[in-house]
Amino acid sequence: MDRSLGVPKAEFLDSVRRSLDRKPAAPDPAYPRLLDGVSSLQEEAQRIRARINENRPALLDRFAEVAEVRGWNVHRTSDPENAMAHIQSLADSLGVKNAVRSDQEVFGQILVDAPLESTGINVTTVSHGPDRSREFLRSSIIAADIGLTGADYAVAETGSVIVMPRKGMSRLVSVVPPVHLALVRPEDLVESLDDLFLLRRLEYHEKGGEMGSYLNFITGPSRTADIEQTLVVGVHGPKEVHLVLLG
Amino acid sequence: MDVSFQEDQTCCGQPLYNAGYSKKARTLARRVLDTFKDSEYVVVPSGSCAAMMRVFYLDLFRDDPKMLKQAELLSSKVYEFSQFLTSVLGVEDTGSTYSGTATYHPSCHLLREMEVRDEPETLLRSVSGLELTDLPGAETCCGFGGAFSIKFPHISEGMLADKVENVVSTGADTLVSCDMGCLMQIGGGLSRQDSDIKVRHLAQVLDQDQSSNS
Amino acid sequence: MADIKTKDFSKASAVSILDPQLRRALRQVGTGFDAARRAAIDEVSPEIWDEWREEARRIKVHSLDHLDYYLDLLEQNVTKAGGHVHFAKDAAQANDIMGELVRTRNIKVATKSKSMVSEELSLNPALEAQGVDVYETDLGEYIIQLAEETPFHLVAPALHKTKEQVAQLFTDKLGIPYNDDINALAAAARLALREKFILADLGISGANFLVAETGTLVIITNEGNGRLSTSAPRIHVGITGMEKVIPSLQDLAVFLRLLPRSATGQGITSYVSMVTGPRRADDEDGPEEFHLIIVDNGRSKMLADPDLREALYCIRCGACLNICPVYQKVGGHAYGWVYPGPIGAIVTPSLVGLKEAQDLPQASSLCGACREVCPVNINIPRMLLHLRQKSAESPDPSERSAGLVPNLLAGSYTRVMRSPALLSASHKLGRWKQNVWAAMPFFPFSKKGGMIRKASLPLLSRWTRMRDLPELPKDTFRDIWKKELSKDKEGH
Repeated sequence: MDRSLGVPKAEFLDSVRRSLDRKPAAPDPAYPRLLDGVSSLQEEAQRIRARINENRPALLDRFAEVAEVRGWNVHRTSDPENAMAHIQSLADSLGVKNAVRSDQEVFGQILVDAPLESTGINVTTVSHGPDRSREFLRSSIIAADIGLTGADYAVAETGSVIVMPRKGMSRLVSVVPPVHLALVRPEDLVESLDDLFLLRRLEYHEKGGEMGSYLNFITGPSRTADIEQTLVVGVHGPKEVHLVLLG
Repeated sequence: MDVSFQEDQTCCGQPLYNAGYSKKARTLARRVLDTFKDSEYVVVPSGSCAAMMRVFYLDLFRDDPKMLKQAELLSSKVYEFSQFLTSVLGVEDTGSTYSGTATYHPSCHLLREMEVRDEPETLLRSVSGLELTDLPGAETCCGFGGAFSIKFPHISEGMLADKVENVVSTGADTLVSCDMGCLMQIGGGLSRQDSDIKVRHLAQVLDQDQSSNS
Repeated sequence: MADIKTKDFSKASAVSILDPQLRRALRQVGTGFDAARRAAIDEVSPEIWDEWREEARRIKVHSLDHLDYYLDLLEQNVTKAGGHVHFAKDAAQANDIMGELVRTRNIKVATKSKSMVSEELSLNPALEAQGVDVYETDLGEYIIQLAEETPFHLVAPALHKTKEQVAQLFTDKLGIPYNDDINALAAAARLALREKFILADLGISGANFLVAETGTLVIITNEGNGRLSTSAPRIHVGITGMEKVIPSLQDLAVFLRLLPRSATGQGITSYVSMVTGPRRADDEDGPEEFHLIIVDNGRSKMLADPDLREALYCIRCGACLNICPVYQKVGGHAYGWVYPGPIGAIVTPSLVGLKEAQDLPQASSLCGACREVCPVNINIPRMLLHLRQKSAESPDPSERSAGLVPNLLAGSYTRVMRSPALLSASHKLGRWKQNVWAAMPFFPFSKKGGMIRKASLPLLSRWTRMRDLPELPKDTFRDIWKKELSKDKEGH
């Protein structure tokens, strides 16, 4: 669609300016954060990464602690075999028949397909291609008992796993199936919301104004307190969320 | 300390200000500014009146630079009673006696606009023979709110019922407050229930000459 | 626009205050949401909490002071990301825009996650009139949609319903067996809405924040319906008030810290979803089109009024509702329009007209608890007072509503208080009347032990129906001072 519906932007903004009794002009002094260019963001990002590197063990502990409090079932292991066994045993106890997963780097380290398939579980990697249409993939997601993803970031401050859709990373894999399992590597970790947003802004400005279509924070299972202010877990999103922290 | 009473003072204008009659409120406020222009301190025995003179006059005269200056001057001299005793006179123990259990209700304007939080209880704790007990939901409004109490009587009554229930639950024989409106409201509610709980202004409790149970 | 029932406030509140079920539900608000909020603040420490509040307010002040600039920047960046921005000056225009989109995109089914603005517009009926099946997916909104009611609270729209009522509602409307276990009810809603999410052509959302720097819409949710509504359908439309924009993505952090804690005491919600345009070519899923409808609907009037601009800083956390002793007594419906509670008492009159909603700013004891809890330090009592001033004194007849009686009373009160002699005379007259009335055998006035117990007279009766009133004393302080204390002074 090429044209805007409603009032033309110029007219709308004029009305806002009249309310503010001001002429069209940028804020003076300019808003500091909007003056950040790519190089200053890169410098800050370097400082952030240095700080995280220095404090990684403590951050991992903190992330695990907060995630647990926020409702993740956390399993920690730096041993891929152990991770795999955990996933297998979980799938077994849940009676999983169909699993979907994203196509992320972490699945090259933790090879889930073969072990799960060997127990009769159907595993679909949600990444479209000539032999798999988006429609087919969507029905696999709908039929799945569990969705497995990696994490684009893991935020220690809030105990959140961040997922960002793109090729091989579906928005629906982590929200439609009743159970979600996230594999988190030590290098995914950031300390705070401030860290996360700085890094996102860096990517946005480095790419000339592009950072992907979507970003989701996942912090625990789906919840509501809408009926009698009583907490219920598992409404439209997953009822159960598991986190395997690989460090 | 020389205590005087300006005999021709009347009202600070708060009921008018709260009802939105700012012009009429300014008429009364000007009288107040004139009445107290030579006073060194103005001590007010009611939290909401003190707030009016110390805080809200600045809003009332925000469009009048000349009067605003006078309001600012007055503001620097206005103290609520318990605030004056503790902050200006440095008194935390008045050497009073009162036998009984008391519970203290902080008035909203005293608490939130005058920021007088601990002073009344500090003074009460020093009274010998007085046992102070905490009031549940102390910081919840009693429902007076000036004209609100008769503009929306059903809501005011509902808020009062909760406050009275909390006061009674403490088992205290005396309810203490620093605001006339609250005392009228809570006192009115307790009286209607034929309650034996006495309703007293802080000054009445601290007044040494008063016999303890009158 | 949504039905405006603000004129019924007095009547509606008198009824709701007596409803035993509403009482039970509202009593829980103090021990529920508000207690959780306090615990969350204690956990971070009050000092840090106040720092966050100041930072958030600074961001909002700057954003609204330069709203034109940031809306412009936002529009540019949403467009850059492949989205479309539409500007609606009022409710009718917003509905027209939606209508046009629905028509040209052949929309049959829509899933909707929470949007208070859409309630202002009465969006659902407008869509339904065009043959669209609209499903509210937020559990609370779903419940009130089935019940054909309006939201009772900003954050928990069905706060007033018991689980038994919800169970009966589900049985009646969904045809399922009665089961009032809350987990079962949530499961029933999940099941009923599952296929709608997948079937929907259109997903509608609100916006908690709009980030100008990147052209991003942010929604903060717990249930997962927000994610599904903005990911599964082929079109996503976000509808928002124009005041939601903040300058930089970096600014979002402090609001993510404040909003969940203020609203429900959570450190963070289960999900925070950030939408920047439609799916990209290589994405696995996501909407093909993203539209953002930015609505004015009276907000520019609030922006223009220096006394009211602050109300646009509101982040819709509901903390002021949860602490307000008036809201806790009358509940959300009595306020008669979309926004209840303290912030509603300012926003509603500002958007629907002060004369229309004149009771709302008056129905407050000005206790100030709302200001104390507001995460953006909005001075709500100050704005209520300014609205009262407009009602009493505004030269604009669409604002002024004070009637003859209040004006006369205010005038007489001023007259008496300007003159100590008149005040003294009034006191003497009052004393005399008091005694005469009390002595008259069949007159509806009685006193006992220094308290007036009954006074079935205009105005007085409103006090004395449930409370006693101290009678006018024989001597005023002035009299006592003159007689006793000046004697004492001279004596020293």
